[in-house]
Amino acid sequence: MPALSLRNIRKSFGATAILRDISLDIDEGEFIALVGPSGCGKSTLLRIIAGLEPLDSGDIDLAGKRINDATPRDRDIAMVFQNYALYPHMTVAQNLGFSLKLAGRKPAEVSRRVEEVARPLGLAGLLDRRPRQLSGGQRQRVAMGRAIVRNPRAFLFDEPLSNLDAKLRVQMRTEIKALHQRLGTTTIYVTHDQVEAMTMADRIVVLKDGVVEQAGAPLALYDRPGNAFVAGFVGSPSMNFIAGRLQANGLPRFVADDGTLLPLGPVPSALDGRRVLYGVRPEHFAIDETHGIGARVDVVEPTGSETHIALRFAGHDIIVAFRNRIGARPGDHLLLSPRPEHVHLFDAQSGLRLN
Amino acid sequence: MTTNNPGAQAAALAHAGPGRDAGQPRFTAALARRIAAIDWRVCAALALLLAVMFPFLWLVQLSLRPADDLFGESLLFVPSLDSFRSLLQGDFLASLINSLVVSTASTGLSLLIGVPAAYALTRWRFRARRRIALWVLVTRMAPPIAFTIPFYLAYRWSGLLDTSLGLVIVYLTFNLAIVIWLMQTYFASIPQALEEAAYIDGCGVWGAFRRVTLPLTAPGLAATAVLCFVFSWNDFFYALILTRTHATTAPVAIVNFLQYEGWEWSKIAAAGTLVMLPVVIFTVLVRSYLVRGMTAGSVKD
Repeated sequence: MPALSLRNIRKSFGATAILRDISLDIDEGEFIALVGPSGCGKSTLLRIIAGLEPLDSGDIDLAGKRINDATPRDRDIAMVFQNYALYPHMTVAQNLGFSLKLAGRKPAEVSRRVEEVARPLGLAGLLDRRPRQLSGGQRQRVAMGRAIVRNPRAFLFDEPLSNLDAKLRVQMRTEIKALHQRLGTTTIYVTHDQVEAMTMADRIVVLKDGVVEQAGAPLALYDRPGNAFVAGFVGSPSMNFIAGRLQANGLPRFVADDGTLLPLGPVPSALDGRRVLYGVRPEHFAIDETHGIGARVDVVEPTGSETHIALRFAGHDIIVAFRNRIGARPGDHLLLSPRPEHVHLFDAQSGLRLN
Repeated sequence: MTTNNPGAQAAALAHAGPGRDAGQPRFTAALARRIAAIDWRVCAALALLLAVMFPFLWLVQLSLRPADDLFGESLLFVPSLDSFRSLLQGDFLASLINSLVVSTASTGLSLLIGVPAAYALTRWRFRARRRIALWVLVTRMAPPIAFTIPFYLAYRWSGLLDTSLGLVIVYLTFNLAIVIWLMQTYFASIPQALEEAAYIDGCGVWGAFRRVTLPLTAPGLAATAVLCFVFSWNDFFYALILTRTHATTAPVAIVNFLQYEGWEWSKIAAAGTLVMLPVVIFTVLVRSYLVRGMTAGSVKD
């Protein structure tokens, strides 16, 4: 039995459909990341699970019990908000212990539990402070502690790291993942940052316009994206797409719109002549002096560990990433060849994967 | 800083002036420095304050003067509390207590009804929200005199004329608009995510309001309460028209000291001082909140 099960969830605000028929089963202890561009409905879905937003139709089951109409307090779910939402008039200890106090626990038990939670989060010395006296990272930890202290059935995170600076974000990312490994609580994590989703989640659910585009393990999504949207959304820098036509008879080839011929692995002959998008990730290009195709260098971006080069290739602007250092300059010409075993083919109309 | 200060410039000029006579420049420089030390803005503020405060100060000194020296020209006199004493022995005390009861009751009721109304108008995005909020405000747009005849007739018909309850109801109708509009800005400044966090932590709608929203708006609540109290306390017009003997408030009672036999100046002054006192005390106590109340929601925190 799944820990949390969503069936045919629909939600509209006025005439705008936000969620269209979302179904998802989440296992006990799983770390799920909901990702998608802004406006895709991921935050609304999270708020529906929390009980902060009513749903139009569909069912939510928590541990086999239907909770559609349960109030947030009856759901036994904790949530970490994007702006932390700490109570400004309470100390850190009161913030952490608020839910326990409401549940009618004895003061001694509350303070014992608060200290238990505060210590591993590094908040033990800050219990008498008020939220405004804390740094961004400390506030983030208090918000997490407030969720942990109740021992809830599930954690919901709503873009919790988006208000932190880049360095702290990476550090908190690791802390949240370590926390999940320690507690093993079912977690649903909303983010628009696909790197966060890739690094933290057991399973990623990609949403777009209120529809689940694809759900799966991070590397499965990376290696075999089900459609062109997921292919372009997952991975940074994102996948390059070249529009053209398939030639499946004889030696399979891809003919780009400007006539460039690109290599392919085996392709079913039924696809001959089909208009497709030819997708290659930036790291799946090789410099090939014999069979390579000429590409003009536009911009070179060294990141230290990798070199990203923006090029004009087969009539398209693409990005290529090299692990080794390339001494290219703008205006230079490189001979590039995509690795055929890493080529993704998508239908030009529907965007669905073909190979 | 010094360039903004005319005194400092004068001092600098005097200092730079030719030193033909040893004694004269030194004296001028010393004088200029004296003048420079005076902050003219403070002087201007004090002068303005004195002008504004003069009627009030005059009233207070009048109440303390002995009866036989009421309009004496000397500011030096032996203060006496006789006028206050005779005031409290007469009927004025009853009026003062009545004022207190009516103002407190109308303030309490306005908050009791207005605060939840303001909360609902802020948080509940229903279709007629803006229209209802505007209707509430419209009650304050007409001049009070427009309502006197309807109120008078309705009160005479219902037997509320010359009762404390009648006054409480009138002040309630006027204060509600203040409470609802002021509190809306305070509630709007509390992020909704805080209430949502409270729901998740185990509060109901009422619990989140009581434990999170209300404590955070407490300063605004205090400021609003004081405004309501002061408006009710200071009202003269309705109290004059809707009361006769039983339910007169202090401002109306003061008028009764203007009689055919003569005007009882010392009692008028003493009564005026007593009526002013709670207003001054409350305003001083919550003045920082009052300013924040006026500007709440204008700037994002």
